[in-house]
Amino acid sequence: MTTNPTKPVKKLSMQQRYSALTRDIDWTPSYVTEDQLYPHTTYEGIKIHDWSKWDDPFRLTVDAYYRYQAEKDKRLYAVLDGFAQGQGHLTLSDPAYLNAMKIFLGGVTPLEYQANRHFSYLARHFNGPGPRFAAQCQSVDELRHAQTEIHTLSNYNKYYSGMHNFAKMHDRVWYLSVPKSYFDDALSAGPFEFLIAIGFSFEYLLTNLLFVPFMSGASFNGDLPTMTFGFSAQSDESRHMTLGLEAIKFLLEQDEANVPIVQEWVDKWFWRGYRVTAIIAMMLDYMLPRPVMSWKESFELYFEQQMLNGLFPDLAYYGIRPPKGVEQAIWEKEHLSHLVYHTFYQFSHAANLTTSIPTKEHQAWLASAYPDAFEQFYKPKWDKLEKMAAEGNRYFYPGLPQLCQVCQVPMLFTEHGDPTKLCQRHSEFKGEHFNFCSDHCKEIFDREPEKYVQAWLPVHQIYLGNCGGPTIPDVLAWYGYAEGDSGEMLGNVDHNNWKKWHAQVDDSVGGRESVEVGGAAEAGKGA
Amino acid sequence: MAMTETRPVSVDLQENEENRAVIEAIEADNEDLTIRHVPGLVKLQAPGRLVIKRESVEERLGRTWETHEFQMAIVTLSGHITEWDEDQIVLSWGHPERD
Amino acid sequence: MQYELKTQIIEPLRPTFDHLVARYGNKPATRYQEGTIDLQPTENFHYRPTYSPEYELYDPNYSAFKLTDPYSFLDPRQYYYTPYVTNRAQMHEAFGKTLDYVADHNLFGRTPEAWKRLIGEIVIPLRHYEAGCQMLFSGAARFAWGATIAQCCTFEGFDRIGNAQLISRVGITLGEQTAGVLNAAKQSWMEAPAWQPLRRYIEEALVEPDWAVGVVAVDLVDKLLDTLIYRHLDEEAIVGGAGAYSLLAQHVGTWYAEHRKWLDTLYKAWLADPELAGANAAAFSAAVSAWLPKAADAVGALAQHADTIVDTGAAAGLEARVAQVKAEYEALGLTVS
Repeated sequence: MTTNPTKPVKKLSMQQRYSALTRDIDWTPSYVTEDQLYPHTTYEGIKIHDWSKWDDPFRLTVDAYYRYQAEKDKRLYAVLDGFAQGQGHLTLSDPAYLNAMKIFLGGVTPLEYQANRHFSYLARHFNGPGPRFAAQCQSVDELRHAQTEIHTLSNYNKYYSGMHNFAKMHDRVWYLSVPKSYFDDALSAGPFEFLIAIGFSFEYLLTNLLFVPFMSGASFNGDLPTMTFGFSAQSDESRHMTLGLEAIKFLLEQDEANVPIVQEWVDKWFWRGYRVTAIIAMMLDYMLPRPVMSWKESFELYFEQQMLNGLFPDLAYYGIRPPKGVEQAIWEKEHLSHLVYHTFYQFSHAANLTTSIPTKEHQAWLASAYPDAFEQFYKPKWDKLEKMAAEGNRYFYPGLPQLCQVCQVPMLFTEHGDPTKLCQRHSEFKGEHFNFCSDHCKEIFDREPEKYVQAWLPVHQIYLGNCGGPTIPDVLAWYGYAEGDSGEMLGNVDHNNWKKWHAQVDDSVGGRESVEVGGAAEAGKGA
Repeated sequence: MAMTETRPVSVDLQENEENRAVIEAIEADNEDLTIRHVPGLVKLQAPGRLVIKRESVEERLGRTWETHEFQMAIVTLSGHITEWDEDQIVLSWGHPERD
Repeated sequence: MQYELKTQIIEPLRPTFDHLVARYGNKPATRYQEGTIDLQPTENFHYRPTYSPEYELYDPNYSAFKLTDPYSFLDPRQYYYTPYVTNRAQMHEAFGKTLDYVADHNLFGRTPEAWKRLIGEIVIPLRHYEAGCQMLFSGAARFAWGATIAQCCTFEGFDRIGNAQLISRVGITLGEQTAGVLNAAKQSWMEAPAWQPLRRYIEEALVEPDWAVGVVAVDLVDKLLDTLIYRHLDEEAIVGGAGAYSLLAQHVGTWYAEHRKWLDTLYKAWLADPELAGANAAAFSAAVSAWLPKAADAVGALAQHADTIVDTGAAAGLEARVAQVKAEYEALGLTVS
């Protein structure tokens, strides 16, 4: 046999390699039927004729996945370790900043974890190897996100309140039922609806609103670890967005009969997701001591410009129109964050975070970011609450809020077009009365009432005696709160510790400036 | 399909030393680029089409660069990935806009 | 140095999260613990799943195998995402280097024809089996109760698609950078009599409704395949002048040894449960009794076919291994009929 031992071997192209390694390993079963093997992909009415038409532009293979992800994590954990060792938490702009991260850890991180579990479900249950592999990658990515978030915030948890019990809080706390019920809604749907709900409507349409402007804000407020995990997670997110977009195009191209089903899901899941982002609006506008980009501007940039004007003209080709609630969401962008923070201000005695009247500087920023709404509608409310607080009468709402049966947000939203008139809608189902915050939540209920009557509504559950007892302290104990988790920010445990620690550091090293060490100096530069 | 598509496409990249070469390569290879900086981030937007070329990145980086490595830099994107091979990544919109 | 000063003066208020303090005491937790323990939601689910309305979204009743406290099982490797991908990046890189070496030195060109045939017919079709295992473990990752087990299953599912790709890359190299060997292997998987028992086995394991029974079932095959493909044939390949095979197989063989760690630990946890050990042992005994004979037939058919290509005494060796596997389960306290 003659061989040339050093002859270089030609490599397959990226495309050929991807195809050989991911697509060709699939087979059609014959010892069980295809329906037995994939029992969940028919009951939603979606028709798929050719699974091989699923395209994955990333053409990722497992070896490349491991290589790049290991490198990303090496960089990320180096930042986390450096920050922790250098007492980086003291270089935050203000301890109030961490209120946003308390919401993040209790509200978002558990969803990442649930996405890990349910993308595994897609990686089992889709008939085609292309979407299964993409879902498989996303499943492990989501586990990465949950864990990098916990590891990042773990360092803050050692010094600050409100994070110490995040997993239980996610299952129990009243406002965290908003993100939890949203994800439970997706997880309990069929595989295609989940794909459109999370893969498309959340990952593609809405996730930028959380992970891009907010992470930029984290950087601006001295939280380098959060910015790093946020952008590092987003680098996976671009793959997830691609999956989401591929998913909707694939379903639409496979069969015309899929179009109206997908349209209903897009309508429903835009609104479901959008209602969850109300919390993000508040985080951006009220919870960053140094604000960066308002909710309104973020929404215009990442939703109106990129989605409505970019993506949806493409989807029109398939007969898909923008989601039903879009007009209202556009109108609400002026009002959303103010309404939500105003509510949290009055209920923070029952939340795992603290609130306070926005400072004069902050209110000036709000007025400039919302020239048509803030001074006219919201500043008077803050003035009134500020006066009460100054008189020693810091206001907390004495009762429990009424919740929307679908989105589970307290009924704080106004009529579309009128910021002074609270919106309330109702439906009857099997002799029972249900309340909604909006026309779109009512529509979602009316389409699937059997589903939404099951909702575990925190306020109802408290009245039913399922939350530790009849009084507010009973309920808060059941939530697992500790001293300092809740209430007014000024004079709170975190606030006092912050002052004490800075006094110590200042005395020891001679001034505030010397605290600004390491990476967090970056944020200082931008101020 | 003859219509020229001008809806903007964009990529947001983390603004750091590692991504400098990629950002400069995109600036060099795309006319009419709009660049916007926010803390930690640079947003690169182009009308209709945006290309990232391996050769341009390698020139600036002084080492080989696989297009897969773009995943390390990207924070988000707007537009479809209409091409991703060994040599370049192209973002554009999939269907011409109907007026 | 400011750094030293500051670490001295600011004492943490708490070492870690409450649920970890409750379990492990008032001390800092590991990243494995923080990123895993108690992460799965356990209560107040909002809606019943439309695909299985008889259960909750997360429900211990998806399986007959249960743990009183699901976190009595811990991954002995303590893998969370970062150490997991770091380890596997190294594994795949090492494999890639070996494969380059094999290709650059045309080691398959110097491999005896019979051995090349054996690799193409007995090893390469396993990529489909591995792909089936991916699906099975991904399903388990969804329906397992508790984040430690689910996380091991998530990683195992990804490992299996990785194994399928490693084997495929061997096939591409064996086929001199064409898909020829892969195509022939797929035809074997679909049609060759020697492969049908194993294909039937994995298809039936995939439709098994109890995720843990599925895990136990494929592990029976895995134990036998490990012996046949990654120990016996590996050893014989060196003797038979097919060292290229051994060079490549060692990477998957090392993985097979590693994944035993979490499975064996899980088995022990099931059988040591303070309240449910008896019920688990009964379910476990039933699963092994039902699936072991089929596993022995499925892998036995491969061993017999391997012997017709290169007679290495594979079938006889495997029979001995089957008896040993049965004894291993009996030693755990199971009754295997």
